[in-house]
Amino acid sequence: MATVTDMTAPTRTQAKAFARRRMIFATVLVAIVLVLPFIPPFTGQDYQRFLITGALMAAYAVAFDFTAGYIDIVNFGLAAFVGLGAYTSGLLAVDYGISPWIGMVAGAFVAGVVGLLTGMLTLRLRGMYAAVMAWFVGLALMGLVRNVPDITRGSLGLSTPQLLNTSNNLPYYYVIVALLFITIGVLMMVIRSKIGLAFRAIGQNLAAAKASGINPTRYLVINFTLSCAFAGLLGGFYAHYYGILTPDVMATSHTVEILAVAYIGGRGTLWGPAVIAFPLMVITGLLQAQLASLPGLELVLYGLLLILVMVFRPSGFAGLVASLSNRLWPARPEAPTASAPTP
Amino acid sequence: MTTTPAAAPAPTNLRSVPLVKRFLTLTWMIIGLMSAALVVFAFVQPSITVDTLVTGGMWALMAAGLALVFGVMNISNFAHGEFFMIGSLVAYFVFTPIQNAMYDDPTGTSLLKIFGPFAGMIAAVAVGFLVGAVLEVVLFRRLRRVSKDQWVMNTFLLTAGLSVVLVNGDQLVFGTDFRGVSRYWDVPPVRIIGTSVSVDRIAAFVIAIVTILLFSAFLRRSQTGRAMRAVAQDEAGAQMAGISLNRIFIITMGLSSALAALAGAALLWLYPSSPTVGQQPLQLAWFVVILAGLGNVQGAIIGAFIVSMLQTLSVYYIGVGWVDVLPTLFLILILLFKPSGLFGSEVKGVWEQ
Amino acid sequence: MLKLTAIEAGYDLLQVLWGVDLHVEEGEFVAILGPNGAGKTTTLRSIAGFVPPIRGSVTFRGKELRGTLPYQISRSGIGFVSESLNLFPAMSIYENLLVGAYSVKDKKAVASTMDTVFELFPRLLERRDQLAGTLSGGERKMLAIGRGLMPRPSLLLVDEPSLGLAPMPTLATFEALKTLRARGMTILLVEQNVNTTLQIVDRAYVLEQGRIVLEGTGAELLGNTHVQEAYLGI
Repeated sequence: MATVTDMTAPTRTQAKAFARRRMIFATVLVAIVLVLPFIPPFTGQDYQRFLITGALMAAYAVAFDFTAGYIDIVNFGLAAFVGLGAYTSGLLAVDYGISPWIGMVAGAFVAGVVGLLTGMLTLRLRGMYAAVMAWFVGLALMGLVRNVPDITRGSLGLSTPQLLNTSNNLPYYYVIVALLFITIGVLMMVIRSKIGLAFRAIGQNLAAAKASGINPTRYLVINFTLSCAFAGLLGGFYAHYYGILTPDVMATSHTVEILAVAYIGGRGTLWGPAVIAFPLMVITGLLQAQLASLPGLELVLYGLLLILVMVFRPSGFAGLVASLSNRLWPARPEAPTASAPTP
Repeated sequence: MTTTPAAAPAPTNLRSVPLVKRFLTLTWMIIGLMSAALVVFAFVQPSITVDTLVTGGMWALMAAGLALVFGVMNISNFAHGEFFMIGSLVAYFVFTPIQNAMYDDPTGTSLLKIFGPFAGMIAAVAVGFLVGAVLEVVLFRRLRRVSKDQWVMNTFLLTAGLSVVLVNGDQLVFGTDFRGVSRYWDVPPVRIIGTSVSVDRIAAFVIAIVTILLFSAFLRRSQTGRAMRAVAQDEAGAQMAGISLNRIFIITMGLSSALAALAGAALLWLYPSSPTVGQQPLQLAWFVVILAGLGNVQGAIIGAFIVSMLQTLSVYYIGVGWVDVLPTLFLILILLFKPSGLFGSEVKGVWEQ
Repeated sequence: MLKLTAIEAGYDLLQVLWGVDLHVEEGEFVAILGPNGAGKTTTLRSIAGFVPPIRGSVTFRGKELRGTLPYQISRSGIGFVSESLNLFPAMSIYENLLVGAYSVKDKKAVASTMDTVFELFPRLLERRDQLAGTLSGGERKMLAIGRGLMPRPSLLLVDEPSLGLAPMPTLATFEALKTLRARGMTILLVEQNVNTTLQIVDRAYVLEQGRIVLEGTGAELLGNTHVQEAYLGI
């Protein structure tokens, strides 16, 4: 059978122009994120809280997309790993007086180790089995946290010390934005490396990857562990920003929320989920504040948006941007990272 | 173009395996162990046997529906619990006025007192079927057009969105109140094997068994049921035989959600309707389906009783909260030894999806 | 009875058929021959509706088939025995045949057609309750043809019945097709086995690179130099 060769292989200058455009695009995005809290209405404390939720959700969604978009495994228990990091950091601070900053790293470590074990057990399975097993492990972890109230205070909630000595939201915003940049930066670096190449090979065609000498399970486990570790790190921020922890942070509905953001943003791009999380969370926050009489409306909209994306635009927001810019600059080669694995 | 015909997943010819060896497998040992435990508990702690059978029957309805849509349509339905929720809601609204009429009529043995509860369940089945059928036409048929390679995962994500919409939609319209009934049949409990069992429990068990028998007979004997199995085994072959996929998909989705709605309705006295009432049944149904092997309907029915027993034992001897923890450890153990589930999966290519 | 006019068809980015014209008359036994990848299977699949043609028309008894779904085509009287057979492996022979008769409502008619199939293939009757997934290659072919006959089609499309079979079962399959032909069934056959095929069919087409290059009766083609050189190795 003839394979379809790329008829529009980019020339060197085109590739350079594309790289420059991407740099400009990224710089503009970073600048917007950095100055946003000084632009009305985001100067208000309420709006800054929405921005913090946005940045946190962006980072979760990036960690989720790292697995879902690159090795094609949906980590349906991601929220449980967030919770694991949060509880580790929270308990270290409450019971042993350890600084939340160290706690966050410890949380990442614990979530990573549990992620490693989970991955080694479940990633021999593929697709649906892996997703559902991750879900069950998440449920079991949540059950565990709920069932040892002597340690975790269970559903009553664990009061955790604040990360910073201030009730102002602005410094927290820059902390979480820094965490978001670290998450994106590290995961991007991994994807650009040789390991990342293996990820994509596995995600797109497992059999071919095996044939070319890649040990898939090893790479799947590396990816899964990294993703869980970052979830744990972000969980640490969650614990010391909100100041109260209940097992609900580990609930499946929380994972579904992250998943929705990641897919609406566009899977397999990292930046799509990160960008879309901000407007989504601000709108969510506003809806919650304005329509307190209609609880859950924002989640209905979320769900509808996810359904619409799945049915009409599987490549999500990132795909929309890619096709828009293709129309603006027709000679541009296909963005190497912006194409979803769906044909 | 010389593709070798896909090697059929040849089921071993049972007659060629010695009788003793056939039952010495892990699967049969677990089934045997469970049956023995059920009999032993009937004497030692009868309520465990009763609870296992009652909830097991209902999880069997849930899991059979979930396995069916996976087998026939390759849909992994994360919104299956919401059909349970819809069933309980419909049963509540249909049965409550009937219940009032039942109490207004103190003269004893009216027909209403015996058959009244069935009205709620029948309504739930009808609405459940309709909702499932509409979802197939409105959502899955569209998704089928745009999604080929990633179909299974995409249905999972689509139904995750659907679940969020239905749960929060229910909350928007009806609030977070629990809407339940204290009992369906207003008669004193019956004494069976030394323990008193409410008539609602007996009814739930009988309804489950009768429904499962009817459902299996439908799949085995009716032309439509046979067509559903045909679609599950070979879609192209089914089309060659003149079977309309769209028609079968509508019936399958409708039946699956009708079964879940029936479970929700029949358990209204135990699980009062609320937006999140479907979550635990959903988890257990998925648990059963993974344990039994994706898409294996018969396996799901047996698996439901195994899971129900694990659940009941955890609650009795360790505590309600551990229901999620212990069965998961059990499942991981089973999957380490039998990665495609206790009863294996007939669905082609599930592993690569 | 069946008429293809300028059919173009293919898969995603790969077009296979580039304007195929052919016709089959009532009661005829016609074959399509050609090398691997010429588009023989694709031609049958586009008649059966599994590869909808991009351009051109397919008419069956004067009715346009383009744009109709495979199951509708099956119900309009065209039986299709595909290359991979598409049997239902976890069903018995009996059930496979019953599913084949899905669109027939009259139970007596189903029973009598099944008798005809069992008479044509006595092997199937012997193994009536055996699962299709456990049958031998030859038995599977028989079952696929039998299932194709169950809705009492007026035209049978058969794709490479000799594929993967030993000489004996191949012969048996060809014998069955000849019997069917003698009973008045119209058959359109795709085959690699050129010599045998040309001896039993009325007419044949030679398909190369998505186009019909030759047409003639069996005898004519057997005497054609291109056929002799390219396919018979003479």
